[in-house]
Amino acid sequence: MIFFFLLLVAMFVALVAQHFIGPLPVIGARVLLMPIIMFYGALALPTPGMLVLAFCGGLMWDALHMQIIGGNVEIALGWSIVLYAALGALMGGFRPLFQRGRWEIHCLLSGVCTSMIVLAEYLMITFRRDPVVFVFNKDIWWRIGGAGLVAAFLSPFFFFTLNYLAFLVGYDTQPTREGKRSR
Amino acid sequence: MSRRLVIPSVLVFVVGTGFILFLSPHNMRRVQAGFLGIISPFLKTGSSVDKKYRDFREGLKTIEQLEDENKRLIVANKELMATNQTLRGLEAESNRLRDALGYRERAVFKLMPARIISRDASTWYNEVIIDRGAVDGLKEEGDQAVLTEEGLVGKTTTVADHSATVVLISDEACRVAATVEGTREQGIVKGERSSSGSSPSIGLNFLSKQANLKSGANIYSSGAGGVFPSGVLIGQVKEFQMRELDGHASVVPAVDLTTLEDVFVVVGDSK
Repeated sequence: MIFFFLLLVAMFVALVAQHFIGPLPVIGARVLLMPIIMFYGALALPTPGMLVLAFCGGLMWDALHMQIIGGNVEIALGWSIVLYAALGALMGGFRPLFQRGRWEIHCLLSGVCTSMIVLAEYLMITFRRDPVVFVFNKDIWWRIGGAGLVAAFLSPFFFFTLNYLAFLVGYDTQPTREGKRSR
Repeated sequence: MSRRLVIPSVLVFVVGTGFILFLSPHNMRRVQAGFLGIISPFLKTGSSVDKKYRDFREGLKTIEQLEDENKRLIVANKELMATNQTLRGLEAESNRLRDALGYRERAVFKLMPARIISRDASTWYNEVIIDRGAVDGLKEEGDQAVLTEEGLVGKTTTVADHSATVVLISDEACRVAATVEGTREQGIVKGERSSSGSSPSIGLNFLSKQANLKSGANIYSSGAGGVFPSGVLIGQVKEFQMRELDGHASVVPAVDLTTLEDVFVVVGDSK
C-alpha cells in the first residue's frame, strides 16, 4: 500500500517536472516522464493496483492537458484513462517475465507504449478537427517516435530507482521468486 | 486475494471512467480548473526555481564583462533619453493633429501583467499557464486576449482561481481574424499542425488568390469575433502561396513564443 502511494506521488511529481523540460531540440519531441512510472506500476502492481494507477494518471494527464476552446473539447476528460489502462494491461502481459527479474524488454516496451500514447492523441485530434486531414510528415513522426525513444532511454534509470524504492519500503515486486525459494 | 479483486476492480474502473467520459464540457472545465488550482503552487515554485537557476547561470560574469556592460548601458541610456525627448515632441504633435482631424482616440486596452509559470508538456498543443486567475479578475469563461508589447500571444481558455491556461497563436485551434497592412486582404491566422513549442509556425489562410503578399508585410488582428482587439501585431509574412481555392501566407510570429516569460491579459478598455 505504501509503495502504491509512493508511485502515485512519483507520477504527480513527474507530471510537474516534465513541464520544466522543454521539447528536444531539432526533433521537437517531448520528454514524458509520467507514463514511464505508470508502466512500471503496471508491472510491479497486481491488476487492481494498475487500474487505480491508470485511473489517477489518466485523470491527472487529461485534467492538465485537455483543451477546451469555446465549449469544444478535443480529447475529452477520461480518454487517457482508457488508453493508460489498455497499455497497462499490455505491459501486465509481460509481468511474469518481470517477476523473474528481467526488465530489459519492459524498458523497450515502455518506450513503444509512450509512442503509442502520443500517436493515439494525434489520431484523436486529427479526427476531431475539421477538416479531417492526416498530416504525417517527418516532424510528426519524429515527435511520436522521439518521445518513445527518450522514454526507452530513461526507463532503465526509472525502473532501477523504483525497484530500489520498493525494496526500501519492503514491497516485493517479484513474488514468484519468493515462491520458488519457499519450495 | 488479488485475483478475487480483479473483476470488482474492473467493474469499478469501467463505471468510474464512464462517469468521467460523459461529463459535460462545463463540468470538465470545472475539473480542469480544480486540478489547475492544485498543481499551480507546484508549478509556481518550480518556475521560480527554474528562473533563479537561469538567472544565476546568466549572471556569472567577470568584472571586465560587467564593466563593458556598464559602459554600454550608460551609452544606451543616454541614447534612449535623447530619443524619448524627441518622441515626446512627436507625441504632442500627433495628438494635436488627431484632434484637428477629429479622429477618435484609438482604443487603449486595460492590461493585467502576468508571468508564465509553465509551458505545456503535451506534444500536440501549444499552451502555457500564467499566474493570474479568476481571483485576480480574469473571466472564468476565458476567451481574453493575451499579448506582449511586441504583439499577440494567444487567449485564455481554462481559468482557475490563481492561474489560467493560455492557448498560443501557434496552436491549430487558436484562430484569429487578421488583416494585412497596406492591403484590403483579410484572412484567418492559425497555427500549423506540425508546429511545436520549439519551432512555432503560423499561417494566414483564406486570402484571395490575387493577394500576392510581399514578404515582410505586417499582419494585424482585425477585431472580428470580439475576442482579440483590432490592430494588434500578429507577425510578418514570410512567404505567399497560391492554393487551389485561396491564397495562403506563412507568417513569422511577432512574439518569440519559445522564450516568452511575461505577458499581459486584456481585461477590458481603459475608458
